[in-house]
Amino acid sequence: MNTVVAGITYRALLGRRRIFLLALLPVALIGLALLLRLVGSDDQRSTMLLMEKFAIGTMLPLLGLIAGTGVIAPEIDDGTIIHLMSKPISRPVIARTKFVVAASLLALFAAIPTFVSAWLLVGNEDGIALGFAVGALVAGIAYAAIFLLLGVVTRHAVTIGIIYALVWESLIGGFVQGARKFSVQQWAESIADQISTSPFLTADVTLGFAVPALIVVTVVGVFWTGRRLRVFSLTGDE
Amino acid sequence: MSEIYDIGYRHYDGPRLGRAYSTRALTVHSLRAVFGLGRTARSKIMPFALAVIMLLPAVVSIAAMALIGQRAMGYSSYAVIMQAVLAIFLASQGPAIIAPDLRFRVLPLYLSRPVSIVEYVGAKVTAMTAALFLMVAVPLTLIYLGELLIDLEGPPQTKEYLGALAMALVLAVLLSAFGLAIASLTPRRGLGVASVIAVYLLASASVPIFYGTLISTGNDAAARWAWLVNPFWLVDAVQVWLFDTTPNSEGGYPPGPASAAIVVVLIAVAVSVLALRYRKAASQ
Repeated sequence: MNTVVAGITYRALLGRRRIFLLALLPVALIGLALLLRLVGSDDQRSTMLLMEKFAIGTMLPLLGLIAGTGVIAPEIDDGTIIHLMSKPISRPVIARTKFVVAASLLALFAAIPTFVSAWLLVGNEDGIALGFAVGALVAGIAYAAIFLLLGVVTRHAVTIGIIYALVWESLIGGFVQGARKFSVQQWAESIADQISTSPFLTADVTLGFAVPALIVVTVVGVFWTGRRLRVFSLTGDE
Repeated sequence: MSEIYDIGYRHYDGPRLGRAYSTRALTVHSLRAVFGLGRTARSKIMPFALAVIMLLPAVVSIAAMALIGQRAMGYSSYAVIMQAVLAIFLASQGPAIIAPDLRFRVLPLYLSRPVSIVEYVGAKVTAMTAALFLMVAVPLTLIYLGELLIDLEGPPQTKEYLGALAMALVLAVLLSAFGLAIASLTPRRGLGVASVIAVYLLASASVPIFYGTLISTGNDAAARWAWLVNPFWLVDAVQVWLFDTTPNSEGGYPPGPASAAIVVVLIAVAVSVLALRYRKAASQ
Protein backbone atom coordinates (compact mmCIF):
# COMPACT_ATOMS: atom_id res chain seq x y z
CA MET A 1 0.00 0.00 0.00
CA ASN A 2 1.11 3.50 -0.82
CA THR A 3 -1.15 6.18 0.60
CA VAL A 4 -0.17 8.86 -1.92
CA VAL A 5 -0.98 6.61 -4.87
CA ALA A 6 -4.22 5.64 -3.15
CA GLY A 7 -5.15 9.29 -2.63
CA ILE A 8 -4.49 10.16 -6.27
CA THR A 9 -6.54 7.19 -7.41
CA TYR A 10 -9.47 8.09 -5.15
CA ARG A 11 -9.41 11.61 -6.50
CA ALA A 12 -9.28 10.36 -10.11
CA LEU A 13 -12.32 8.13 -9.59
CA LEU A 14 -14.44 10.31 -7.37
CA GLY A 15 -13.45 13.76 -8.54
CA ARG A 16 -15.59 16.02 -10.69
CA ARG A 17 -18.61 14.39 -12.28
CA ARG A 18 -17.23 10.87 -12.36
CA ILE A 19 -18.77 10.05 -8.99
CA PHE A 20 -22.20 10.34 -10.61
CA LEU A 21 -21.49 7.32 -12.78
CA LEU A 22 -20.58 5.30 -9.69
CA ALA A 23 -23.58 6.60 -7.75
CA LEU A 24 -26.11 6.14 -10.58
CA LEU A 25 -26.55 2.38 -10.16
CA PRO A 26 -26.78 2.17 -6.34
CA VAL A 27 -29.25 5.05 -6.35
CA ALA A 28 -31.32 3.19 -8.97
CA LEU A 29 -31.19 0.03 -6.85
CA ILE A 30 -32.42 1.79 -3.71
CA GLY A 31 -35.00 3.64 -5.80
CA LEU A 32 -36.33 0.35 -7.16
CA ALA A 33 -36.46 -1.08 -3.64
CA LEU A 34 -38.44 1.94 -2.44
CA LEU A 35 -40.77 1.60 -5.43
CA LEU A 36 -41.38 -2.09 -4.72
CA ARG A 37 -42.11 -1.21 -1.10
CA LEU A 38 -44.54 1.52 -2.16
CA VAL A 39 -46.57 -0.75 -4.44
CA GLY A 40 -46.70 -3.24 -1.59
CA SER A 41 -44.74 -6.15 -3.02
CA ASP A 42 -42.09 -6.19 -0.33
CA ASP A 43 -42.08 -9.96 0.00
CA GLN A 44 -39.15 -12.35 -0.21
CA ARG A 45 -39.87 -13.38 -3.81
CA SER A 46 -39.59 -9.91 -5.31
CA THR A 47 -36.60 -9.20 -3.07
CA MET A 48 -34.88 -12.21 -4.62
CA LEU A 49 -35.78 -10.94 -8.09
CA LEU A 50 -34.34 -7.52 -7.32
CA MET A 51 -31.20 -8.95 -5.72
CA GLU A 52 -30.43 -11.61 -8.30
CA LYS A 53 -31.38 -9.74 -11.46
CA PHE A 54 -30.42 -6.21 -10.52
CA ALA A 55 -28.02 -6.06 -7.57
CA ILE A 56 -25.83 -9.10 -8.30
CA GLY A 57 -26.68 -9.56 -11.98
CA THR A 58 -26.34 -6.01 -13.30
CA MET A 59 -25.10 -3.50 -10.77
CA LEU A 60 -22.21 -5.46 -9.32
CA PRO A 61 -20.42 -6.39 -12.59
CA LEU A 62 -20.95 -2.88 -13.96
CA LEU A 63 -19.60 -1.19 -10.85
CA GLY A 64 -16.77 -3.71 -10.77
CA LEU A 65 -16.01 -2.77 -14.35
CA ILE A 66 -16.14 0.98 -13.72
CA ALA A 67 -14.10 0.85 -10.52
CA GLY A 68 -11.74 -1.97 -11.52
CA THR A 69 -10.71 -0.55 -14.88
CA GLY A 70 -11.23 3.03 -13.73
CA VAL A 71 -8.37 2.93 -11.23
CA ILE A 72 -5.77 2.28 -13.92
CA ALA A 73 -7.07 2.26 -17.50
CA PRO A 74 -7.58 6.05 -17.92
CA GLU A 75 -4.00 6.64 -16.75
CA ILE A 76 -2.70 4.16 -19.31
CA ASP A 77 -4.98 5.67 -21.94
CA ASP A 78 -3.65 9.20 -21.63
CA GLY A 79 -0.11 8.18 -20.80
CA THR A 80 0.13 9.72 -17.33
CA ILE A 81 0.91 6.29 -15.89
CA ILE A 82 4.50 7.01 -16.93
CA HIS A 83 4.79 9.56 -14.11
CA LEU A 84 3.67 6.94 -11.62
CA MET A 85 5.88 4.19 -12.97
CA SER A 86 9.01 6.32 -13.06
CA LYS A 87 8.81 6.81 -9.28
CA PRO A 88 10.73 4.47 -6.98
CA ILE A 89 7.61 2.56 -5.97
CA SER A 90 7.57 -1.14 -6.68
CA ARG A 91 5.07 -2.03 -9.38
CA PRO A 92 3.37 -4.81 -7.37
CA VAL A 93 2.77 -2.20 -4.64
CA ILE A 94 1.11 0.05 -7.24
CA ALA A 95 -1.05 -2.88 -8.35
CA ARG A 96 -2.01 -3.74 -4.78
CA THR A 97 -2.82 -0.11 -3.94
CA LYS A 98 -5.03 0.27 -7.01
CA PHE A 99 -6.77 -3.00 -6.13
CA VAL A 100 -7.46 -1.88 -2.56
CA VAL A 101 -8.92 1.40 -3.83
CA ALA A 102 -11.19 -0.40 -6.31
CA ALA A 103 -12.29 -2.97 -3.71
CA SER A 104 -13.06 -0.31 -1.11
CA LEU A 105 -15.13 1.66 -3.63
CA LEU A 106 -17.07 -1.49 -4.47
CA ALA A 107 -17.75 -2.10 -0.79
CA LEU A 108 -19.06 1.45 -0.50
CA PHE A 109 -21.05 1.63 -3.75
CA ALA A 110 -22.16 -2.00 -4.18
CA ALA A 111 -22.22 -3.95 -0.90
CA ILE A 112 -23.75 -1.26 1.34
CA PRO A 113 -26.53 -0.27 -1.13
CA THR A 114 -27.28 -3.99 -1.59
CA PHE A 115 -27.76 -4.33 2.15
CA VAL A 116 -29.86 -1.16 2.37
CA SER A 117 -32.17 -2.11 -0.48
CA ALA A 118 -32.75 -5.65 0.79
CA TRP A 119 -33.27 -4.30 4.29
CA LEU A 120 -35.82 -1.80 2.98
CA LEU A 121 -37.82 -4.67 1.53
CA VAL A 122 -37.66 -7.49 4.06
CA GLY A 123 -35.80 -6.10 7.07
CA ASN A 124 -33.59 -8.68 8.72
CA GLU A 125 -35.80 -11.62 7.70
CA ASP A 126 -33.91 -14.89 7.16
CA GLY A 127 -30.61 -13.02 6.85
CA ILE A 128 -31.32 -12.14 3.23
CA ALA A 129 -29.96 -8.59 3.47
CA LEU A 130 -26.77 -9.66 5.22
CA GLY A 131 -26.26 -12.65 2.92
CA PHE A 132 -26.48 -10.64 -0.28
CA ALA A 133 -24.39 -7.82 1.18
CA VAL A 134 -21.57 -10.23 2.07
CA GLY A 135 -21.94 -11.94 -1.31
CA ALA A 136 -21.74 -8.58 -3.08
CA LEU A 137 -18.74 -7.57 -1.00
CA VAL A 138 -16.74 -10.72 -1.72
CA ALA A 139 -17.72 -10.82 -5.39
CA GLY A 140 -16.93 -7.11 -5.66
CA ILE A 141 -13.41 -7.80 -4.41
CA ALA A 142 -13.01 -10.56 -7.01
CA TYR A 143 -14.40 -8.31 -9.78
CA ALA A 144 -11.99 -5.54 -8.75
CA ALA A 145 -9.05 -7.92 -9.23
CA ILE A 146 -10.32 -9.33 -12.55
CA PHE A 147 -11.08 -5.98 -14.13
CA LEU A 148 -7.89 -4.39 -12.77
CA LEU A 149 -5.94 -7.09 -14.62
CA LEU A 150 -8.05 -6.61 -17.74
CA GLY A 151 -7.40 -2.87 -17.63
CA VAL A 152 -3.65 -3.47 -17.67
CA VAL A 153 -3.75 -6.15 -20.36
CA THR A 154 -5.89 -4.49 -23.02
CA ARG A 155 -7.08 -1.07 -24.16
CA HIS A 156 -10.54 -2.43 -24.81
CA ALA A 157 -10.91 -3.47 -21.18
CA VAL A 158 -14.35 -1.96 -20.73
CA THR A 159 -15.86 -3.53 -23.86
CA ILE A 160 -14.35 -6.94 -23.17
CA GLY A 161 -15.51 -6.70 -19.56
CA ILE A 162 -19.05 -5.91 -20.70
CA ILE A 163 -19.02 -8.86 -23.08
CA TYR A 164 -17.80 -11.11 -20.27
CA ALA A 165 -20.45 -9.85 -17.86
CA LEU A 166 -23.30 -9.83 -20.39
CA VAL A 167 -22.59 -12.75 -22.68
CA TRP A 168 -20.74 -15.19 -20.46
CA GLU A 169 -22.40 -14.65 -17.10
CA SER A 170 -25.93 -13.89 -18.27
CA LEU A 171 -26.42 -15.59 -21.63
CA ILE A 172 -24.15 -18.64 -21.64
CA GLY A 173 -24.56 -19.09 -17.88
CA GLY A 174 -28.30 -19.27 -18.52
CA PHE A 175 -28.03 -22.09 -21.06
CA VAL A 176 -24.92 -24.09 -20.20
CA GLN A 177 -24.81 -25.52 -16.71
CA GLY A 178 -21.03 -25.89 -16.67
CA ALA A 179 -20.45 -22.21 -17.45
CA ARG A 180 -22.22 -21.27 -14.25
CA LYS A 181 -19.44 -22.79 -12.21
CA PHE A 182 -17.05 -20.18 -13.57
CA SER A 183 -19.16 -17.13 -12.90
CA VAL A 184 -18.45 -14.63 -10.14
CA GLN A 185 -22.16 -13.93 -9.79
CA GLN A 186 -22.90 -17.55 -8.98
CA TRP A 187 -20.14 -17.60 -6.39
CA ALA A 188 -21.69 -14.51 -4.80
CA GLU A 189 -25.07 -16.23 -4.71
CA SER A 190 -23.70 -19.36 -3.10
CA ILE A 191 -22.19 -17.23 -0.33
CA ALA A 192 -25.50 -15.37 0.05
CA ASP A 193 -27.24 -18.75 0.22
CA GLN A 194 -24.90 -19.89 2.97
CA ILE A 195 -25.74 -16.93 5.22
CA SER A 196 -29.40 -16.61 4.37
CA THR A 197 -31.97 -19.26 5.30
CA SER A 198 -34.60 -18.10 2.83
CA PRO A 199 -36.30 -20.92 0.88
CA PHE A 200 -36.42 -18.75 -2.25
CA LEU A 201 -32.67 -18.77 -2.69
CA THR A 202 -30.89 -21.79 -4.11
CA ALA A 203 -27.31 -21.68 -5.27
CA ASP A 204 -26.01 -23.75 -8.19
CA VAL A 205 -22.41 -23.78 -7.05
CA THR A 206 -21.27 -25.38 -3.80
CA LEU A 207 -19.51 -23.27 -1.21
CA GLY A 208 -16.53 -25.64 -1.35
CA PHE A 209 -15.93 -24.53 -4.93
CA ALA A 210 -17.00 -20.88 -4.66
CA VAL A 211 -14.73 -19.80 -1.78
CA PRO A 212 -11.45 -21.22 -3.16
CA ALA A 213 -12.38 -19.94 -6.62
CA LEU A 214 -12.97 -16.40 -5.31
CA ILE A 215 -9.67 -16.44 -3.42
CA VAL A 216 -7.72 -17.83 -6.39
CA VAL A 217 -9.21 -15.32 -8.85
CA THR A 218 -8.51 -12.39 -6.54
CA VAL A 219 -4.93 -13.37 -5.65
CA VAL A 220 -3.99 -14.32 -9.21
CA GLY A 221 -5.57 -11.14 -10.58
CA VAL A 222 -3.66 -8.82 -8.26
CA PHE A 223 -0.40 -10.76 -8.53
CA TRP A 224 -0.53 -10.89 -12.33
CA THR A 225 -1.37 -7.18 -12.56
CA GLY A 226 1.85 -6.53 -10.64
CA ARG A 227 3.78 -8.80 -13.03
CA ARG A 228 2.29 -7.07 -16.07
CA LEU A 229 3.12 -3.64 -14.70
CA ARG A 230 6.76 -4.69 -14.20
CA VAL A 231 7.19 -5.39 -17.90
CA PHE A 232 4.78 -2.70 -19.02
CA SER A 233 5.57 -0.74 -22.17
CA LEU A 234 3.62 2.27 -23.30
CA THR A 235 2.34 2.03 -26.84
CA GLY A 236 1.09 4.94 -28.89
CA ASP A 237 -2.54 5.79 -29.35
CA GLU A 238 -4.26 4.18 -32.29
CA MET B 1 -10.93 35.74 -46.92
CA SER B 2 -9.06 37.89 -44.52
CA GLU B 3 -5.44 38.56 -45.24
CA ILE B 4 -3.33 39.68 -42.32
CA TYR B 5 -0.05 39.89 -44.08
CA ASP B 6 0.82 38.53 -47.50
CA ILE B 7 4.21 36.83 -47.19
CA GLY B 8 4.21 35.70 -50.76
CA TYR B 9 2.98 32.12 -50.49
CA ARG B 10 1.06 30.86 -53.47
CA HIS B 11 -2.68 31.34 -53.02
CA TYR B 12 -5.23 28.58 -53.29
CA ASP B 13 -7.21 29.14 -56.44
CA GLY B 14 -8.96 25.78 -56.77
CA PRO B 15 -12.70 25.33 -56.26
CA ARG B 16 -14.15 26.14 -52.81
CA LEU B 17 -16.21 23.08 -51.98
CA GLY B 18 -18.24 24.62 -49.18
CA ARG B 19 -20.08 23.45 -46.10
CA ALA B 20 -22.07 20.64 -47.66
CA TYR B 21 -18.89 19.03 -48.90
CA SER B 22 -17.06 19.28 -45.59
CA THR B 23 -20.07 17.97 -43.67
CA ARG B 24 -20.29 15.03 -46.05
CA ALA B 25 -16.57 14.37 -45.67
CA LEU B 26 -16.87 14.47 -41.88
CA THR B 27 -19.82 12.06 -41.99
CA VAL B 28 -17.96 9.57 -44.17
CA HIS B 29 -14.85 9.89 -42.00
CA SER B 30 -16.91 9.24 -38.83
CA LEU B 31 -18.69 6.28 -40.41
CA ARG B 32 -15.35 4.76 -41.35
CA ALA B 33 -14.10 5.41 -37.82
CA VAL B 34 -17.07 3.53 -36.34
CA PHE B 35 -15.93 0.40 -38.14
CA GLY B 36 -12.24 1.14 -37.59
CA LEU B 37 -11.58 1.57 -41.32
CA GLY B 38 -8.43 3.52 -41.94
CA ARG B 39 -7.22 2.72 -38.44
CA THR B 40 -5.12 -0.07 -36.96
CA ALA B 41 -6.15 -3.71 -37.22
CA ARG B 42 -6.72 -3.75 -33.47
CA SER B 43 -9.50 -1.20 -33.69
CA LYS B 44 -11.24 -3.21 -36.42
CA ILE B 45 -11.56 -6.35 -34.30
CA MET B 46 -14.42 -5.20 -32.06
CA PRO B 47 -16.82 -3.67 -34.64
CA PHE B 48 -16.33 -6.47 -37.14
CA ALA B 49 -16.68 -9.20 -34.53
CA LEU B 50 -19.99 -7.64 -33.46
CA ALA B 51 -21.10 -7.30 -37.09
CA VAL B 52 -20.37 -10.99 -37.67
CA ILE B 53 -22.37 -11.91 -34.55
CA MET B 54 -25.26 -9.85 -35.93
CA LEU B 55 -25.12 -11.86 -39.17
CA LEU B 56 -25.15 -15.29 -37.50
CA PRO B 57 -28.92 -15.54 -36.86
CA ALA B 58 -29.53 -14.49 -40.48
CA VAL B 59 -27.34 -17.36 -41.71
CA VAL B 60 -29.11 -19.79 -39.38
CA SER B 61 -32.46 -18.44 -40.56
CA ILE B 62 -31.58 -18.91 -44.24
CA ALA B 63 -30.31 -22.42 -43.53
CA ALA B 64 -33.55 -23.24 -41.71
CA MET B 65 -35.59 -21.93 -44.66
CA ALA B 66 -33.52 -23.95 -47.13
CA LEU B 67 -33.41 -27.21 -45.15
CA ILE B 68 -36.74 -27.48 -43.34
CA GLY B 69 -38.71 -24.83 -45.22
CA GLN B 70 -39.62 -22.81 -42.14
CA ARG B 71 -38.95 -19.28 -41.01
CA ALA B 72 -36.71 -19.38 -37.96
CA MET B 73 -36.86 -15.69 -37.08
CA GLY B 74 -39.36 -12.98 -37.96
CA TYR B 75 -38.17 -9.71 -39.44
CA SER B 76 -39.91 -7.74 -36.73
CA SER B 77 -38.09 -9.48 -33.86
CA TYR B 78 -34.52 -9.34 -35.18
CA ALA B 79 -33.43 -6.14 -33.42
CA VAL B 80 -35.15 -7.09 -30.16
CA ILE B 81 -33.51 -10.50 -30.01
CA MET B 82 -30.08 -9.13 -30.87
CA GLN B 83 -30.39 -6.10 -28.60
CA ALA B 84 -27.41 -6.92 -26.38
CA VAL B 85 -25.09 -7.00 -29.40
CA LEU B 86 -26.44 -3.70 -30.72
CA ALA B 87 -26.10 -2.10 -27.28
CA ILE B 88 -22.48 -3.26 -26.99
CA PHE B 89 -21.79 -1.95 -30.50
CA LEU B 90 -23.25 1.44 -29.65
CA ALA B 91 -21.38 1.58 -26.34
CA SER B 92 -18.01 0.52 -27.70
CA GLN B 93 -18.04 2.47 -30.99
CA GLY B 94 -20.04 5.58 -30.07
CA PRO B 95 -17.39 7.06 -27.76
CA ALA B 96 -14.73 6.16 -30.36
CA ILE B 97 -16.04 8.88 -32.71
CA ILE B 98 -16.96 11.37 -29.98
CA ALA B 99 -14.28 11.19 -27.29
CA PRO B 100 -10.99 11.93 -29.14
CA ASP B 101 -12.18 15.28 -30.54
CA LEU B 102 -13.30 16.34 -27.07
CA ARG B 103 -10.22 15.04 -25.30
CA PHE B 104 -7.67 16.65 -27.59
CA ARG B 105 -9.78 19.81 -27.81
CA VAL B 106 -9.71 19.97 -31.59
CA LEU B 107 -13.28 21.19 -31.88
CA PRO B 108 -12.22 24.85 -32.34
CA LEU B 109 -10.09 23.63 -35.25
CA TYR B 110 -13.09 22.04 -36.94
CA LEU B 111 -15.12 25.16 -36.30
CA SER B 112 -12.47 27.40 -37.83
CA ARG B 113 -13.52 25.87 -41.15
CA PRO B 114 -16.99 26.40 -42.63
CA VAL B 115 -18.43 23.65 -40.42
CA SER B 116 -20.78 24.80 -37.68
CA ILE B 117 -21.68 22.98 -34.45
CA VAL B 118 -24.99 21.82 -35.92
CA GLU B 119 -23.25 20.28 -38.90
CA TYR B 120 -20.53 18.68 -36.77
CA VAL B 121 -23.03 17.05 -34.38
CA GLY B 122 -25.31 16.18 -37.31
CA ALA B 123 -22.44 14.45 -39.10
CA LYS B 124 -21.55 12.39 -36.01
CA VAL B 125 -25.16 11.36 -35.33
CA THR B 126 -25.72 10.55 -39.01
CA ALA B 127 -22.61 8.38 -39.12
CA MET B 128 -23.59 6.44 -35.99
CA THR B 129 -27.16 6.10 -37.26
CA ALA B 130 -25.94 4.75 -40.58
CA ALA B 131 -23.65 2.27 -38.82
CA LEU B 132 -26.41 0.99 -36.52
CA PHE B 133 -28.87 0.83 -39.42
CA LEU B 134 -26.37 -1.24 -41.42
CA MET B 135 -25.91 -3.59 -38.45
CA VAL B 136 -29.64 -4.41 -38.54
CA ALA B 137 -30.50 -3.87 -42.21
CA VAL B 138 -27.78 -6.08 -43.71
CA PRO B 139 -28.89 -9.29 -41.92
CA LEU B 140 -32.56 -8.47 -42.63
CA THR B 141 -31.80 -7.97 -46.32
CA LEU B 142 -29.85 -11.24 -46.37
CA ILE B 143 -32.83 -13.10 -44.92
CA TYR B 144 -35.15 -11.44 -47.43
CA LEU B 145 -32.91 -12.32 -50.37
CA GLY B 146 -32.69 -15.87 -49.03
CA GLU B 147 -36.45 -16.01 -48.79
CA LEU B 148 -36.82 -14.85 -52.42
CA LEU B 149 -34.25 -17.34 -53.69
CA ILE B 150 -35.54 -20.32 -51.71
CA ASP B 151 -39.11 -19.50 -52.76
CA LEU B 152 -41.07 -20.60 -49.69
CA GLU B 153 -44.75 -21.38 -49.86
CA GLY B 154 -46.96 -18.33 -49.87
CA PRO B 155 -46.06 -14.80 -50.94
CA PRO B 156 -42.78 -13.30 -49.71
CA GLN B 157 -43.12 -11.18 -46.56
CA THR B 158 -42.21 -7.95 -48.34
CA LYS B 159 -44.38 -5.78 -46.10
CA GLU B 160 -42.83 -7.19 -42.91
CA TYR B 161 -39.35 -6.75 -44.36
CA LEU B 162 -39.91 -3.12 -45.33
CA GLY B 163 -41.60 -2.42 -41.99
CA ALA B 164 -38.64 -3.91 -40.12
CA LEU B 165 -36.24 -1.79 -42.19
CA ALA B 166 -38.20 1.37 -41.37
CA MET B 167 -38.16 0.49 -37.67
CA ALA B 168 -34.44 -0.28 -37.86
CA LEU B 169 -33.95 3.31 -39.02
CA VAL B 170 -36.07 4.68 -36.13
CA LEU B 171 -34.14 2.50 -33.67
CA ALA B 172 -30.82 3.62 -35.14
CA VAL B 173 -31.75 7.31 -34.82
CA LEU B 174 -32.95 6.86 -31.23
CA LEU B 175 -29.94 4.81 -30.15
CA SER B 176 -27.32 6.96 -31.82
CA ALA B 177 -28.75 10.29 -30.62
CA PHE B 178 -29.06 8.99 -27.07
CA GLY B 179 -25.81 7.04 -27.03
CA LEU B 180 -23.76 9.91 -28.41
CA ALA B 181 -25.42 12.35 -26.01
CA ILE B 182 -24.32 10.19 -23.07
CA ALA B 183 -20.88 9.58 -24.56
CA SER B 184 -20.31 13.28 -25.18
CA LEU B 185 -20.53 14.03 -21.46
CA THR B 186 -17.05 12.63 -20.84
CA PRO B 187 -13.88 13.10 -22.89
CA ARG B 188 -12.56 9.69 -21.80
CA ARG B 189 -13.39 6.75 -24.05
CA GLY B 190 -13.47 4.09 -21.32
CA LEU B 191 -15.81 6.12 -19.15
CA GLY B 192 -18.01 6.84 -22.17
CA VAL B 193 -18.30 3.12 -22.96
CA ALA B 194 -19.13 2.37 -19.34
CA SER B 195 -21.77 5.09 -19.05
CA VAL B 196 -23.58 4.14 -22.26
CA ILE B 197 -23.74 0.48 -21.30
CA ALA B 198 -24.68 1.38 -17.70
CA VAL B 199 -27.70 3.33 -18.91
CA TYR B 200 -28.75 0.49 -21.24
CA LEU B 201 -28.35 -2.18 -18.55
CA LEU B 202 -30.17 -0.02 -16.02
CA ALA B 203 -33.10 0.23 -18.42
CA SER B 204 -33.12 -3.41 -19.48
CA ALA B 205 -32.59 -4.90 -16.01
CA SER B 206 -35.34 -2.86 -14.39
CA VAL B 207 -37.96 -3.99 -16.94
CA PRO B 208 -38.47 -7.55 -15.56
CA ILE B 209 -38.57 -6.17 -12.01
CA PHE B 210 -41.22 -3.55 -12.85
CA TYR B 211 -43.16 -6.02 -14.99
CA GLY B 212 -43.02 -8.91 -12.50
CA THR B 213 -44.04 -6.69 -9.60
CA LEU B 214 -46.93 -5.03 -11.41
CA ILE B 215 -48.21 -8.37 -12.74
CA SER B 216 -48.06 -9.98 -9.30
CA THR B 217 -50.09 -7.12 -7.85
CA GLY B 218 -52.67 -7.57 -10.62
CA ASN B 219 -51.89 -4.34 -12.46
CA ASP B 220 -51.80 -5.83 -15.95
CA ALA B 221 -52.49 -2.58 -17.81
CA ALA B 222 -49.75 -0.74 -15.93
CA ALA B 223 -47.37 -3.68 -16.34
CA ARG B 224 -47.42 -3.26 -20.13
CA TRP B 225 -45.98 0.23 -19.73
CA ALA B 226 -42.91 -1.30 -18.03
CA TRP B 227 -41.66 -2.61 -21.38
CA LEU B 228 -41.28 0.90 -22.71
CA VAL B 229 -38.38 1.57 -20.32
CA ASN B 230 -36.05 -0.40 -22.60
CA PRO B 231 -35.42 1.43 -25.93
CA PHE B 232 -35.57 -1.79 -27.96
CA TRP B 233 -38.99 -2.79 -26.64
CA LEU B 234 -40.07 0.84 -27.04
CA VAL B 235 -39.29 0.79 -30.76
CA ASP B 236 -40.96 -2.61 -31.01
CA ALA B 237 -44.07 -1.05 -29.49
CA VAL B 238 -43.99 1.62 -32.21
CA GLN B 239 -43.67 -1.17 -34.76
CA VAL B 240 -46.71 -2.95 -33.34
CA TRP B 241 -48.68 0.31 -33.54
CA LEU B 242 -47.56 1.20 -37.08
CA PHE B 243 -47.36 -2.17 -38.82
CA ASP B 244 -49.56 -4.34 -36.61
CA THR B 245 -46.85 -6.97 -36.07
CA THR B 246 -46.88 -9.50 -33.25
CA PRO B 247 -45.43 -7.97 -30.07
CA ASN B 248 -42.11 -9.46 -28.96
CA SER B 249 -42.91 -8.91 -25.31
CA GLU B 250 -45.18 -11.08 -23.24
CA GLY B 251 -48.51 -9.40 -22.67
CA GLY B 252 -48.17 -6.81 -25.43
CA TYR B 253 -47.73 -3.07 -25.18
CA PRO B 254 -50.00 -0.20 -24.20
CA PRO B 255 -52.17 0.56 -27.27
CA GLY B 256 -52.06 3.73 -29.29
CA PRO B 257 -49.35 6.14 -30.37
CA ALA B 258 -47.96 6.77 -26.86
CA SER B 259 -44.79 4.81 -27.62
CA ALA B 260 -44.16 6.82 -30.79
CA ALA B 261 -44.59 10.04 -28.81
CA ILE B 262 -42.04 8.79 -26.24
CA VAL B 263 -39.57 8.01 -29.03
CA VAL B 264 -39.92 11.52 -30.45
CA VAL B 265 -39.52 13.11 -27.00
CA LEU B 266 -36.44 10.99 -26.22
CA ILE B 267 -34.78 11.90 -29.52
CA ALA B 268 -35.54 15.59 -28.90
CA VAL B 269 -34.05 15.39 -25.38
CA ALA B 270 -30.92 13.64 -26.67
CA VAL B 271 -30.42 16.19 -29.45
CA SER B 272 -30.80 19.12 -27.05
CA VAL B 273 -28.30 17.52 -24.63
CA LEU B 274 -25.86 17.21 -27.55
CA ALA B 275 -26.49 20.82 -28.58
CA LEU B 276 -25.90 22.13 -25.04
CA ARG B 277 -22.81 19.99 -24.54
CA TYR B 278 -21.20 21.03 -27.79
CA ARG B 279 -22.00 24.70 -27.37
CA LYS B 280 -19.86 24.51 -24.23
CA ALA B 281 -17.17 22.31 -25.77
CA ALA B 282 -16.78 24.64 -28.74
CA SER B 283 -15.78 27.53 -26.54
CA GLN B 284 -13.12 25.59 -24.63
